[in-house]
Amino acid sequence: MTDPRDIHAYLGAFDDIPGTRVYTAARARQGYHLNQFAMSLMKAENRARWLADERAYLNEWPLTPEQRDAVLARDYNRLLDLGGNIYFLSKLFSTDGLSFVQAVSTMTGMSVEDYKAMMDAGGRSPEGMRSIKGKY
Amino acid sequence: MARITAGIASSHVPLLGVAADTGKDRDAYFGPIFEGYDWTRAWIAQSENKPDVVILVYNDHASAFDMKIIPTFAIGCGERYKPADEGWGPRRVPDVEGHPDLAWHIAQSLILDEFDMTIINEMDVDHGLTVPLTMMYGAPEAWPAKVIPLAVNVVTYPPPSGNRCWALGEAIARAVKSFDGEDLNVHIWGTGGMSHQLQGPRAGLINAEWDNMFLDGLVGASQKLRSIPHIEYLRETGSEGIEMVMWLIMRGALGRETKALHRHYHVPCSNTAIGHIVLEPVDDRVPPSATIEGNDAAAQAAI
Ligand SMILES: [Fe+2]
Repeated sequence: MTDPRDIHAYLGAFDDIPGTRVYTAARARQGYHLNQFAMSLMKAENRARWLADERAYLNEWPLTPEQRDAVLARDYNRLLDLGGNIYFLSKLFSTDGLSFVQAVSTMTGMSVEDYKAMMDAGGRSPEGMRSIKGKY
Repeated sequence: MARITAGIASSHVPLLGVAADTGKDRDAYFGPIFEGYDWTRAWIAQSENKPDVVILVYNDHASAFDMKIIPTFAIGCGERYKPADEGWGPRRVPDVEGHPDLAWHIAQSLILDEFDMTIINEMDVDHGLTVPLTMMYGAPEAWPAKVIPLAVNVVTYPPPSGNRCWALGEAIARAVKSFDGEDLNVHIWGTGGMSHQLQGPRAGLINAEWDNMFLDGLVGASQKLRSIPHIEYLRETGSEGIEMVMWLIMRGALGRETKALHRHYHVPCSNTAIGHIVLEPVDDRVPPSATIEGNDAAAQAAI
């Protein structure tokens, strides 16, 4: 079987990937209520209440002020930093009527059109994007 | 008696379900993706290839499971499952019928084989499970096969290792072999992937070279895919490429050696590289269980 893993080295390596937040247990703990809030938007009646008054709806959830602001601003990179997971956050952007491509492109600093063109041309190359330290 | 006669892998991008459900599956964008499944649709419709039961390995995407409970490996033992409402209304596809007799047999066997499964009796199934059914069967009135959902956590780290997934596949093969109910032709499908990243500034990453290396590695007697660490999936295939560990459950269940019947790769579908392969076991040799219960006649007889 495989060798036992050094859990610290295992987790530490995740920080070496450019432009990526791996959804670790630490992030899952930090973002628990944020993700559960997003999950609540799966229900039509919750979506209606959310759309009627976003701030009031958010106040029902024990989020940090930073998480609350990032939700209102739809700042998805910030939400990832604050423990959000993309599959949960997708409930938020779906409620806004955004597709995965539209929402995901907002995290890349590219316009939707440029992002789509990149995907149609074969996607983002992994060259130089694998490791910060290793620069490969 | 039941036997695993084929393994199929496929991406399960939600947009493919949308395309099929809205009649766009043959347009300029989606046509080249769906054409790669035509071979499989014709093959699986032939009576000798038609599975009675599909063990469908997939992951839930914040649909049936939220952050309250995170099972690493869970098996559906229920009678039926409804398509989940993923926030825009459930897909209008048939309910998924389970096979509780075989599912419970597999669940019990796996636990005695030291895979401590979570058992699910009721849940809704999301695009991870229904999109592969659409890709293989189109839009029938009822799904032609019964389905045993096998859900894997690939969202919250750490997901299971590739090696563990492969070994689970081997244990599934042993479990299917020891089923003493009706004669069943069983498929195992591994879904998700291939390279994609849905988050952060690196989103949109695609690695066709690595994906094709992975497809190559599923064919034949090589075991090299089982030792790929999570960090390699993350670096090479994007944060969501980790879904490919689920393909290794399928591969493990096919035993020592496989033969490829069909293969398809296409970039892009939305943010994702589409991969699809149909495999056949060359013989049904699977390593024996290493566990005490797995080798104990009385324990096995109690299943
Ligand atoms: Fe997925």
